[in-house]
Amino acid sequence: MPHKLSEIISWPEQREKAKTYFDSYGWPDNRNEAWKYTSLAHLKEGKFTASSDNAPIDSAPIDSTAQLEGFYVEISGSAVQLPPQDALPNGISITDITADDNARAAAFTHLADNHLLPALSAMHQTSAIAIDIEKTDSAAPLPAVILNLTGSNKEGACYPFVIVRVHKGAEARIAEIHSSHAGLSCPLMVYEVADDAKLQHIRLQAEASHTTHLGLNQMQMGKNSQINSFAISMGGALSRLETHSLFLGSDAELAQSAIYLGRDRQHHDITSFVAHEIRDCASRQLIRGVLDDKARGVFQGKVRVAPDAQKTDGQQMSRALLLSRDAEADAKPELEIFADDVVCSHGATVGELDENLMFYLKSRGIAEEDARNMLIDAFLVDTLDEIEDPDFAAFMTSQINRWSLARR
Amino acid sequence: MNLLEIKNLHASIGDTKILHGINLTINRGEVHAIMGPNGSGKSTLSYVLSGRDGYEVTDGEILLDGESVLEMEADERARAGMFLAFQYPVELPGVTGMSFLRAAVNARRREAGQDEVDQLEFVKLVRAAAADLGVDNEMLKRAVNVGFSGGEKKRYEILQMSLLKPSLAVLDETDSGLDVDALKIVSDGVNAQRGGDCGMLVITHYQRLLSHIVPDFVHILAGGRIIKSGDKSLALEVEENGYAGLVDAA
Repeated sequence: MPHKLSEIISWPEQREKAKTYFDSYGWPDNRNEAWKYTSLAHLKEGKFTASSDNAPIDSAPIDSTAQLEGFYVEISGSAVQLPPQDALPNGISITDITADDNARAAAFTHLADNHLLPALSAMHQTSAIAIDIEKTDSAAPLPAVILNLTGSNKEGACYPFVIVRVHKGAEARIAEIHSSHAGLSCPLMVYEVADDAKLQHIRLQAEASHTTHLGLNQMQMGKNSQINSFAISMGGALSRLETHSLFLGSDAELAQSAIYLGRDRQHHDITSFVAHEIRDCASRQLIRGVLDDKARGVFQGKVRVAPDAQKTDGQQMSRALLLSRDAEADAKPELEIFADDVVCSHGATVGELDENLMFYLKSRGIAEEDARNMLIDAFLVDTLDEIEDPDFAAFMTSQINRWSLARR
Repeated sequence: MNLLEIKNLHASIGDTKILHGINLTINRGEVHAIMGPNGSGKSTLSYVLSGRDGYEVTDGEILLDGESVLEMEADERARAGMFLAFQYPVELPGVTGMSFLRAAVNARRREAGQDEVDQLEFVKLVRAAAADLGVDNEMLKRAVNVGFSGGEKKRYEILQMSLLKPSLAVLDETDSGLDVDALKIVSDGVNAQRGGDCGMLVITHYQRLLSHIVPDFVHILAGGRIIKSGDKSLALEVEENGYAGLVDAA
């Protein structure tokens, strides 16, 4: 998936290009290398749901008792509700750009133009929001902006688009909560983090149990910028989160970790592409998956280091824990290194709960189920430590605990 | 009633028979030592007693307080009062010491129909018990056994024992990997729990542990059988002459 710094083309042209792309390639299936482990053949047949089950719609995909503090942007299908501008503090502005073709076209500048997810968004966008975070004189951090993506019906599809621009020197806190009831949920988020700017970001995918979730988060990083990003994928029937992270300036740092939690016949795919195009940047990714029942987890992680990107530090580690004989995990880490003075490492493991550890806990009187849950929590805990923002960390931890409790 | 009664115990791992008819009775307050050469079945006996998966009892009986434990899982046996101090305690990355100790103590208390421990009180209780064993606060904050030295792991085992207050403690080669000072701290910790209602089974290869934890009875295990029983002088005899003479005589 090559990315280029392209010219802005008009929105009608962008849509035309997307249609041409989709007409030629359509929904990918296992024959497409990038979709080898995650087929979208069911969408080709016009069905939004991978399974034939008619399970009732989950009433509360996320824990409403664990609310995040901040300004909520409500996106429900094509209905958008923004906090009133006069309620927002200096430094935050939020604009509905659904009807603003120029703004939408500009936001698409760095998106891959030969890729399914941007193409779907260009063709079908149901809403478009721009969020600008600017540096303020105040020493206090800006409140969080929470994107609450809900609504739509089981047969419907939603294609929300959000661009977040963190301007030079600013520090933003953004949370995405995906809990729609859509048949197909296709959110596209672009984060432009300018020079010396910082983004604290969490993303929770807690869609209804019938939903197909195809998300793309693109992160663009300026010189000396920092991103601390953490995603949890726990909802939906079939879910893919792609992250495309591009370094556009030197001395930038990306920490981008994710946890997927699967049960029943859920399918979770985390696909990441980190493009080190510029020297002296660092990326660090920890991926953990826990899979029960007949769930399947996929991690595809590509790190590309361009010839000029000397002194790159790229670390990636993925581990999956299988709780059932019928669960499956696939990992495809890929390093493409064209520079010679770099420190890069990657690793992937798939394992079961260690019987020696289980016996140790049980020999202390801890019941089988409790012992399993202690070890599952232990498997995830160091990954959660990656989240810098304490409120975000507490929220994400509560979601994991909720998942664990539902297992009991 | 006897605390522990092992009758004609036969056990295998897969197709390999390890224990060939062990008989042993332990009463409350008694300390029994099992000594034996490598491969005699000492560790197997500790695992069979504590209910580890993969060890099959093919004949015989194990009674704890008169009740058979053979159908009980490891966690049920522990809640019934059995405790195994491991020869090689495992590391539990991501499991903090306090939460682990609390889960274990609460499991035992719930079984006994008692309320769960108060969190603050528990911290005090653990710190006091830990201080006696030279386990510092830093160790308590870390993940269980992660980064502990061999001696620290053994002290942590005895700390768990002192918190869980078992009726039967099985100490599997608790002396292995300990220097003289650590051996003394660990032995003092064990001796502090002697007497009263607790019975102990101390499994060891060497006599040196038994000069610190002086047993009431000594049994020699060889080839999966107890070939000789006696008092503490039997341990000294082994020290003097090795196992060879005893094994040949049996």
